[in-house]
Amino acid sequence: MQLIVNGLIAGSLAALMAGGLALVYGVLGVFNLALGQLSLIGGMTAWWLHGPMELPLLPSILGGIFVGGIVTWITFECTVAPFYRRDRFLPLVTTIAWSMILDAFILLVFQEYPRSILTNEKHFLDLGTVRFSLEQLALVLVTFIFISAVAWMLHSTSFGRKIRATVQHADAARSLGISSSFLHRVVFIASGVLAACGGIYMGIDQNLTPTIAFPITIKAYAAVIAGGKDNFWGTILAAYLIAMIEQFAVGAPWFFGAYIPVGYQQTVALVFIIVILLIKPSGLFSRQLRTT
Amino acid sequence: MPLLSVSHLSLTLNAQQILKNVTFDVDQGEVVGLIGPNGSGKTTLFNVLSGFLKPTHGTVHLREADITHVSPAQRAKLGIGRVFQNFGIFREMTLEENVLVALEALPKEQRMLLGDLREVVRGTLDMVGLSHQGKKKAGSLSGGQMRLLEIARTLKSGKELFLLDEPTAGVSPKMTKQVADLIAELKKEGKTVLIIEHDLPFISRICDRVLVLDVGEVVLNGKPGEIKHDKKLQEIYFGADPTA
Repeated sequence: MQLIVNGLIAGSLAALMAGGLALVYGVLGVFNLALGQLSLIGGMTAWWLHGPMELPLLPSILGGIFVGGIVTWITFECTVAPFYRRDRFLPLVTTIAWSMILDAFILLVFQEYPRSILTNEKHFLDLGTVRFSLEQLALVLVTFIFISAVAWMLHSTSFGRKIRATVQHADAARSLGISSSFLHRVVFIASGVLAACGGIYMGIDQNLTPTIAFPITIKAYAAVIAGGKDNFWGTILAAYLIAMIEQFAVGAPWFFGAYIPVGYQQTVALVFIIVILLIKPSGLFSRQLRTT
Repeated sequence: MPLLSVSHLSLTLNAQQILKNVTFDVDQGEVVGLIGPNGSGKTTLFNVLSGFLKPTHGTVHLREADITHVSPAQRAKLGIGRVFQNFGIFREMTLEENVLVALEALPKEQRMLLGDLREVVRGTLDMVGLSHQGKKKAGSLSGGQMRLLEIARTLKSGKELFLLDEPTAGVSPKMTKQVADLIAELKKEGKTVLIIEHDLPFISRICDRVLVLDVGEVVLNGKPGEIKHDKKLQEIYFGADPTA
């Protein structure tokens, strides 16, 4: 039971990161490999505002989201917009380069120490077989609210319908008058805002170090690829599934009671992608839950 | 004043000239057929007219305004509607959503004139006999129904010039008649239609004029009755007569 709860907590974080990426891939057809760094910038900004600047938690969180959004917008204008219409694989290279620049910036400004947004004692709930903090419960609920809000936006608003139309047939959407450049900017920035929320989530639940950016990106892409690339719901499900598998891989006994060392937890996502791609190259949910 | 004016249009892609000095006009309310063998540049010409490709040389004017470098979305707002060869519908959206999203993409002033959009959606689906399937996903429709939905959606979203790319491809004979009726309806409403087709009898029936494209060039331009027996058309479709 504890493993399921842990999977739910880790899955919520991954879903937050990967959901935005799935929309970006669906609408723009590009991969943003600086996602982990954007998430760290959101988290680190919230830490700086709440810690050294001693602002209350809520304005610090909003500040982290705002800065994350601004840096994502700069990312789009500098490393995606000039290239993706020429070749959608070019941003793969430019966002890697940008991620290295951001890595160096984060290391310079925040240094290589673990940073935790909440330094005081967390409040734990002990339900016998399951133990979790109130902060974790809040984070899972906030993710649920975010995902529900995105679902409502996609299915019940004019803007959401335009996103879905663009994902399903970009040329037909443009020929109806749906302006792709505005839509692309909004979706890209929204994915960065979700990533920043993920970074803040991590900073509250655990701590932030500059070295975790790349594993964050990999894990989010594992969910996007396994979920069917441009399939928002498939990605959300895959994010939770991968988190559960990770928890069970290192938390449950295998082979005559032996445990897989915790250090291998990160590799589980990669093995999962390889296995999924071998069995179903188009992604786990590509047929059942096509697109958004 | 022609509605559409195409002047000395050329396009080179990957060192290959796809369109060569294409020049023609289309008047308001005309139905013009665009025919030619596979690879003659018909769909490429549509891509240039709808803004998906930029020509190497030449211009495209809509009501005397130069739209050569205008984006596809802007051209749609100016009144150019495109029906795609590979079905430009949103398969995972319902039929109602397919029409609604087209109406919501209209400029605000135009949208306001339509009144209740849900009513317009119902009317549009009614027009093509699909109102009882409004809540179904568009991907569940037959090829012919998809085509009808796409044309009706474009019609109701206030377009003036229709670019129809093989509207009868993959459509049953019964549905082909419905598509022809819908095009006749467009003509009755004073809309202008440019249509790519391989079905020559269909083209002869519905078009006022036919343009024949071969290797990227307009080689014939005339009334269907005039060009039907033209030797050049026979040569393009069936090759030169060795006994001639």
